[in-house]
Amino acid sequence: MKYKIGLEIHTQLTEAGTKLFCGCDSNYRKYKPNTNVCPVCLGLPGALPVPRKQPIILALAVAETFNCRIPESMVFTRKHYFYPDLLKNYQITQYEKGGGMPVCLGGTLKYYDPDLDLWKKVKLRRMNIEEDPGKTEYSEGNILASEFAYVDYNRSGVPLLEVVTEPEIPTPRDARKAVEYLLLTMEYVGAMNPRLEGSFRVDANISVEGGERIEVKNIGSTLDLERALRYEIFRQRKIVEGKGVVERETRHWDPVRGITKSLRSKESEEEYLYFPDPDIPMISTEPLLKEVRKRNITTPEKIMERVSRLGVNRRTAWSLVTIKACAETFLEAVSIGADPIISSRILAIDYKGHLRKSGMNLYKRKNWPDPIVLKKISDLIRNKVYTYDEIKYNIIPKLVNDPKMIHITLPEKASPEKLITEVMNEERKAVWDFYQGKKEALDYLVGKVLKKAYGKAMDPKKVRKLLEESLYKSSNIY
Amino acid sequence: MKLTASSIRDEIIKGNMDIEDYILGKLELIRKNDKKINAFISIDSEGFLRERARNIKMGIRSGKKPMLAGIAISIKDVISTSFLPTTAGSKILEGYIPPFNATVVEKILKEGGIVIGKTNLDEFAMGSTTEFSAYGPTRNPWDLERVAGGSSGGSAASLSYGAADLSLGSDTGGSARLPASYTCTFGLKPTYGLVSRYGLIPYANSLEQISPMARSMEDLALLLKVIKGYDEKDATSIPRAEEKSYEKFKVCVIEDLVRDSDRPIKSSLYNLLYKLELEGIETEYRERLDYINYALPVYYTIAFAEASSNLARYDGKLYGKMGNSETYKKASIDTRKSNLGLEVRKRILMGVLTLSEGFKNEYYIAATKGRRLIRDEILKVTKDCILVSPVSPILPPRIGEKIDDPLKLYAMDVYTVIANLAGIPALALPSSFYNGLPIGVQFMGKPFSESSLIRLGLIIEKITGISGVIAGG
Ligand SMILES: [Zn+2]
Repeated sequence: MKYKIGLEIHTQLTEAGTKLFCGCDSNYRKYKPNTNVCPVCLGLPGALPVPRKQPIILALAVAETFNCRIPESMVFTRKHYFYPDLLKNYQITQYEKGGGMPVCLGGTLKYYDPDLDLWKKVKLRRMNIEEDPGKTEYSEGNILASEFAYVDYNRSGVPLLEVVTEPEIPTPRDARKAVEYLLLTMEYVGAMNPRLEGSFRVDANISVEGGERIEVKNIGSTLDLERALRYEIFRQRKIVEGKGVVERETRHWDPVRGITKSLRSKESEEEYLYFPDPDIPMISTEPLLKEVRKRNITTPEKIMERVSRLGVNRRTAWSLVTIKACAETFLEAVSIGADPIISSRILAIDYKGHLRKSGMNLYKRKNWPDPIVLKKISDLIRNKVYTYDEIKYNIIPKLVNDPKMIHITLPEKASPEKLITEVMNEERKAVWDFYQGKKEALDYLVGKVLKKAYGKAMDPKKVRKLLEESLYKSSNIY
Repeated sequence: MKLTASSIRDEIIKGNMDIEDYILGKLELIRKNDKKINAFISIDSEGFLRERARNIKMGIRSGKKPMLAGIAISIKDVISTSFLPTTAGSKILEGYIPPFNATVVEKILKEGGIVIGKTNLDEFAMGSTTEFSAYGPTRNPWDLERVAGGSSGGSAASLSYGAADLSLGSDTGGSARLPASYTCTFGLKPTYGLVSRYGLIPYANSLEQISPMARSMEDLALLLKVIKGYDEKDATSIPRAEEKSYEKFKVCVIEDLVRDSDRPIKSSLYNLLYKLELEGIETEYRERLDYINYALPVYYTIAFAEASSNLARYDGKLYGKMGNSETYKKASIDTRKSNLGLEVRKRILMGVLTLSEGFKNEYYIAATKGRRLIRDEILKVTKDCILVSPVSPILPPRIGEKIDDPLKLYAMDVYTVIANLAGIPALALPSSFYNGLPIGVQFMGKPFSESSLIRLGLIIEKITGISGVIAGG
């Protein structure tokens, strides 16, 4: 049974600095309730919205990145609905069918599927800039149990970029990958930090062949998006198979129980009374686009290409690219002469692993090694002063806690020959097993030698080779 | 008695007049007369006024020469002031004190003006008679049985009985000019974008401008000079607006813009034109304009649509007391029903209708197209010619006379809405009296031709001799 998925992704331009139409902070999370507000974002009578440059520049940058058709000018429209968190009872947005003109009229979201090493595409219908409403909170956490509802307008007026795809995403997994790629791109563009709580919300449309379109609203993570879509497809298929009717409705995803619940059946005819906002003259995009182009915007795709061209394999390259701080560290180190293959392996595999294990923030640039240190280390390996494993076991764990490490020194090299002799004397049973043809005994013995060398640099491959030689040399004894 | 703000200001600067005495005199006058006229919704306290007067006095002593030094200014209660409530003439904003001043108020304070009080208006400026105020109608100081016009009726009345010497009104479709013509005062709706709207509680954003009002041409020009200019807080205000004056005056009369006026109005206009010709000013008579007959429906359609949106916010969340109801929606509806006047609710309803799917093409969209046609036509005509017309087709009506017939009420704006639709400046000033009732005349110029309108106004002021006149004075 075929199905179709389309997405509406509401992303906050968290890095814009200001709200969309006033000077209040775009990152409202750090404020006490109702302190990140002014007459404009409170919609006080007579206060006027004045479009701020930075949010609009960032939205245009994102639109450019996805090859959007960008109109000559943008027109903001008012969308009316009565709601406690919407102070003016209209939201300023851009809707082309309401006399407005959005920032993007169709583009292409090209996203990477790392498992298939494949770039895929989904068509974008449009992108529009709009203001976020405030937030309603309930005294007991939910509307039914609460006597009071509180409204916090710190978020009111924060710039949103709504990205709407065509309903042509093939699978729930693709939906997730596409959104993740969009968010990653917006992070590269400098438009948002997708890890901030509530920085994006997804509404998904799914229709299974033989049924009407269902909208699932307010999905807060990409993992939940995939889960919600899987659940919905399963649910709708069951209904269609059972000769039931899937009626058009809006549903809500419950991430705790892992199911969707009906919000309102049969979308009532919505009447938003759209018309162009008379307080905001149209905005020419051309001069702003010139500024955008001057900024030399990078995208994950461009970085991926650069990294691959340096000879790094695609899987490792993608692993670098998915974390902007990591990719930046890599490119900077390479630019001052670090070996790309060695550096990428250190960063994308071993260093990243250690960061994760120690519970540190992977997205903070300062948690990644100083590029100069990285270059020194890669030189040591490239010039065969130390082996990769010597560095991996001895330096990287320390580097995680000291990314600006100045003295890169390994403990003095223990003589493997001496340790091998010791181990062969102590582990006679294993030595015997080896001569009996049990090859795994060799691994055991290598492990013992390395254990004895604990804290000192020693190359396991070299140990293995030496150990084998000694064993053959001594074979006549046995 | 001739009393202009400019002459008072000069006396104050010279030290011949004491600001405190002058201001307390105004307060006394208001206390004595405003009960019957009802020009004010709120008045500043004596203590506050004294202090303000002393501060300005000190400034003058230290050598400052502010343009409005000490002048008593009344401000329409739809313009935000952080020191006095701003009600917009509505119950829903009763007691609302904005946390900020409108840009024009800031400018007035900076130039040493004294805001004496906030003036009455039709609720949210929706009306032409000031009878739709939640705070009672304003009476015309020239005839207490008659209206002072609207919606800036309080401002006009405050000037004409001398309670203030300058006033700020707002003009959405004639709201400053119409009351000016009914009260023997002067009003100028500036070119759209010349004066910041920041802090003006909106009725119809794309049409309205804050407008200076005064008792003489010189005063009007003075107040305009103070309040005009680009404001970064208003995206529709125009940066670096250049004056575009006419090289020589030519006044055009369009028969369509005179024909339906009452006889005294017509003869006042023609009489004035005759005198202008004697002064050597060229006049030209034209039969008609193609789209002018659509001006009234186009205007009201756009104004109501914008109003319905602007007024959506008054739902009890921040303004008006929200009662207990089963649902949020019902609570909002109840709050609006009990706090917004009938006329306002009527206009909201019509505005919603014109924006609704199924009606939008026929109404709102058709009106915006019509507006473009009217604007283009008017801009073409005014390129080399100042349009003249009556301000109102009728003399000031009696209180209660027009209020019950909306079509007659709306028709009072027939000559004034044109300037708002086209965004051009329009000046209303007294032309004559008829049976003791003032009659006004209107001049409309091309965008940013305010200086020409002012020059023409000065000539007319000289011809009529009506300047600085106070009712009963
Ligand atoms: Zn704000």
